[in-house]
Amino acid sequence: MEKVGIVGYYQLKPELDIMMSPYEAIFTAVRGALDSAGLKRKDITTVVTCTNDYYDGKTISNCFKVEAGGAYMKDETKVELDGAHAAAYGLYRILSGNHKLAMIYGFSTPSCYFYEPVRILELDPTFDRTMSVINPYTTGGMQMRAYMKAFGVNEEDIAKVAVQNYKNCSKNSLALPEAKKPDISVQDVLDSEILSSPLRRLMYPIPCDGATAMILAPERQSLKITDNPVWITGMGQCQETYYLGDRDLSISVSMEKAAEKAYKRAGINDPKSEIDVAEIFGHTSCEELILAEAAHLSEKGKGAILLDSGPALNPSGGAMSAFTPCASGLTRLVEAAKQLRGEADGYQISGAKKAIASGQVGFCAQNNIVFVLEGGG
Amino acid sequence: MPLPAYIKKDYKRTRTLHGNWYLMNYKYKFNLSRTKVFLKGLKEGHILGLKCRSCNTVSFPPRLICGRCLVMPDQWVRLPETGTIATGSASYDTNDKNRERPLPVIAVRQDGADTVWLHNMPKDIDFHSIYIGMPVKAVWAKERTGSWFDIDHYDAIEDPAIELNKKEQEK
Ligand SMILES: [Zn+2]
Repeated sequence: MEKVGIVGYYQLKPELDIMMSPYEAIFTAVRGALDSAGLKRKDITTVVTCTNDYYDGKTISNCFKVEAGGAYMKDETKVELDGAHAAAYGLYRILSGNHKLAMIYGFSTPSCYFYEPVRILELDPTFDRTMSVINPYTTGGMQMRAYMKAFGVNEEDIAKVAVQNYKNCSKNSLALPEAKKPDISVQDVLDSEILSSPLRRLMYPIPCDGATAMILAPERQSLKITDNPVWITGMGQCQETYYLGDRDLSISVSMEKAAEKAYKRAGINDPKSEIDVAEIFGHTSCEELILAEAAHLSEKGKGAILLDSGPALNPSGGAMSAFTPCASGLTRLVEAAKQLRGEADGYQISGAKKAIASGQVGFCAQNNIVFVLEGGG
Repeated sequence: MPLPAYIKKDYKRTRTLHGNWYLMNYKYKFNLSRTKVFLKGLKEGHILGLKCRSCNTVSFPPRLICGRCLVMPDQWVRLPETGTIATGSASYDTNDKNRERPLPVIAVRQDGADTVWLHNMPKDIDFHSIYIGMPVKAVWAKERTGSWFDIDHYDAIEDPAIELNKKEQEK
């Protein structure tokens, strides 16, 4: 695969209830990304938006955000999946040779709607929705139980992942303030409110308002813009069946396939030793382990060892740090890029050369997308 | 032609299931502090436009972001009460079943502004007397509260261009 550079990015500081109109939030992120790369609006050739009609309370949600997203009189499109999928669209557009600079942003304000009930509208309307037992909590619980049973993992191991994420959040200045818990213990997580047995409140990230923007450019263009680009060297995407009953929830085949495709394109043979940082978007702490294992970062069922050795798992705090629907995957990409650029102030993994970042959408991570990033230097 | 074997002859129609397509409650966010100056102006009887310092475009009603320049315009400019009709159309009263009395809906370009907005005219005005380029003047609501409804409607004013055109034709 030809190299595509990440040349600029900006994360709006996430908040539970942001004091900004959608317009301003997107503007701040997009303008911030342009400024970080020293670019002007006229340099953008294509814009890929990630918003969701249901999350925005209006149809064709991107049409209202044209000016704020820098898309006025430009080639623009919308992805209604995850921000990481928007980055993939941007990547395709750059690789097509038709575009020199792609602006990608993801945005949502869960303070305006109830995230979990709206997710129910994602369900099959004939069977699943009418039964009203499937929601992000119950699917998280079922997935966690399947995983624990399949590999003999106990609740403490999964709570440890959450604890590490909360501790990492406290080092990340752009993490949600409510997620910064430097003194949290495994017992605190196990004692937190039960959402859907065995899933606990503190194993589930808090949906928060935010916006993230990222700029992609072809190789030659990237080197003109910055001396320190981050290269996307591989990308893989895989979609699994919708029906939870048709899947083995203790593993993630789609993540495995997506990661394998990405590694192949990037020429990575042994991800365990070659990858330094993994920014994985897991919808729960348990899913984070399942996805990390599926990405071949550890043996199946042994994901918890990543907390001590091997590639650094979510040094930014992962989805716990900023769980903004439509932007989480993009934020993971930006966090991975920051590590490779040496810009992760306070949680930098020293000597990070290669990283992966993942995005997902759907119940129990139905659709996964993996990017392999390399530092340019 | 015989039907393919998988199509059952007694299959009359697709089954349907009733469902609601609703979106619970939604809170639409709007930053009032950015339009405070504009609304305060309306309360005091001033029409304010927002000027982009980068391209000098004046928007009325004010736009939070200039799409051309990707900046937030921050220069408020006082605009006159007059404007011109940029385009228009007709709407009808719900009681007017036969559509006998068209009511004008107009797009007004406030003098000094580069954008237009949609408004209405008095109900007794003859729709056919309206034309593009017709000068109009904002009519304030009886009681101004500092809201968008402070401008009640636009009324026609004398068009000096008509007299000039007549004189031109007489020559
Ligand atoms: Zn401008």
